[in-house]
Amino acid sequence: MEAKLGIPAVALITEHFKTLVVENSAKKGMPNLRVTYVPSPVWGKTAEQLRKDLEGNSPVTGKPVMQEIIANLTSPLSAEDRNTRTIEQSAGPASFGPETADNLQQLFIDKRMSDYLPIVLPTEERVAAMLKGTSHDPDEVVGKMAATPGVFENWTYTVRTVAVNAVMAGARPEYFPVILAIAAAGTESISSSDNSFARAVVINGPIRDQIGLNYEIGALGPFSHANTTIGRAWTLLSMNGGNAGKVGTTYMGVVGNPTNGTNIVIAENESASPWQPFHVQKGFKPEESIVSIFTGWGVVSAKNSVYGVWAKEMNFTSQLQNIFKTQDPMFGATAILSPTVANYLKQEGHDTMEELINAIFEGVNEEKRHFMSPRSINVLVTGGYNNLYYDYGGMFYGNSVSIDKWR
Amino acid sequence: MKKQISRAITTVLSLFLICNIPGLFTLAHAKEVTGTDQPLITVLSPMGQPPSIQLLAMAPRMNTLDGKTIYIVDDGFVGGDVLLKEMVAWFERNMPEVNAVYKRKAGSFTDEDPALWAEIKEKGDAMIMGMGH
Repeated sequence: MEAKLGIPAVALITEHFKTLVVENSAKKGMPNLRVTYVPSPVWGKTAEQLRKDLEGNSPVTGKPVMQEIIANLTSPLSAEDRNTRTIEQSAGPASFGPETADNLQQLFIDKRMSDYLPIVLPTEERVAAMLKGTSHDPDEVVGKMAATPGVFENWTYTVRTVAVNAVMAGARPEYFPVILAIAAAGTESISSSDNSFARAVVINGPIRDQIGLNYEIGALGPFSHANTTIGRAWTLLSMNGGNAGKVGTTYMGVVGNPTNGTNIVIAENESASPWQPFHVQKGFKPEESIVSIFTGWGVVSAKNSVYGVWAKEMNFTSQLQNIFKTQDPMFGATAILSPTVANYLKQEGHDTMEELINAIFEGVNEEKRHFMSPRSINVLVTGGYNNLYYDYGGMFYGNSVSIDKWR
Repeated sequence: MKKQISRAITTVLSLFLICNIPGLFTLAHAKEVTGTDQPLITVLSPMGQPPSIQLLAMAPRMNTLDGKTIYIVDDGFVGGDVLLKEMVAWFERNMPEVNAVYKRKAGSFTDEDPALWAEIKEKGDAMIMGMGH
């Protein structure tokens, strides 16, 4: 803002964000940005408590907060503060080794290039084998990613970079077009936000059966090599290709999110769903294979939210309306239905997905405005047939990318 | 003499063969370097490409804040309004010669607010922006 407006500025930041601020302001081109830190947190405090914080000392510098702000606006600039040169950044060497496998495993942890689980070491041979999973040139730029778009810088990555991360995740070459499509979508799987957000990818089309994605019992769990390694590859790529997930700088999740490791991978159970698959609802053809990216808080079992009415009132439309009323409008809400529940909903009179979503939306908004539009609501179908359970969560649809284009 | 020549040739050939059988050579080298029997391998970097950084010149500082207008901008995090209005009150109590103006930026914290930026550029001498929680 200082460069844009051409007037002196001071950023007022809470103390625990210092490392992030120092690194990010340097990468945004102002390494000596004048910052004053105040005690954390700000919210939840009374005006009197906050007045004392302003009249007290900075928890970072120990200097009086207001005097430091005044000094930041008035003390002269150094020559470096006026510098406008361009600095080229390097991501480091193109390879590591020769070393033993044990030492390389440790090196990847030490350099924060892994998720702390053992990786498949990305030798040239393994990466070459992965690259056979696509017709694209290894040097082609697939896309860009930031730890949070608009806040952190965009990193770019090539087909080869994605292949290295796919190998590390344990993925097979036949999964590679799916991983490339996720990479092309450009959404980091680990957001920098202190909210500890989750990410989901919905996979539709023939690819599901071609690579053995699980969409029946335990569809969202670690019960298929394809689901698990594709989800893990997304996280490794986000960390290494997008510089996400570096605690203290590009990751500040207060509690963290257990789904960030392999993410929420949802292959839809298309043949068991009474409605059109998700990608067809978004305008793609049934025979196309598509990834669709969702972002939000994560998902939990709906049974936890309908205590007391679970066995008495099995009107699923009403249940979804009541549950969705409790959701933060920020990300809308997504239901992940088992095929059995989906078919019950159809019997309740919702012949199309559009009818179902409109009915849920009207019920949620009948008393007061909650969601902005029916587009705030999404319904997916996956899982087994063995009970009437389903999941839901504050998850919002972002974008879709063709897998076939990356074959 | 013939026997010596033959032995020398055999030794050279043996060494050549050992050094050119990758596994054997690597194992021998690995043991020498690491003290283990693990082979030495090379792996590719998984890192993407960070962008170049264009340094931005900071704005010249003022000698004094007397008679200046300072915009105190709230980017919308919960509680930021309470803190920043306390800051305005601090200026009123302690530096009444400063014109401290509280403004809530439109949109979420990453959104631009062109109207406010234009106002600050026209009327402001400095800005304090409250960010974070």
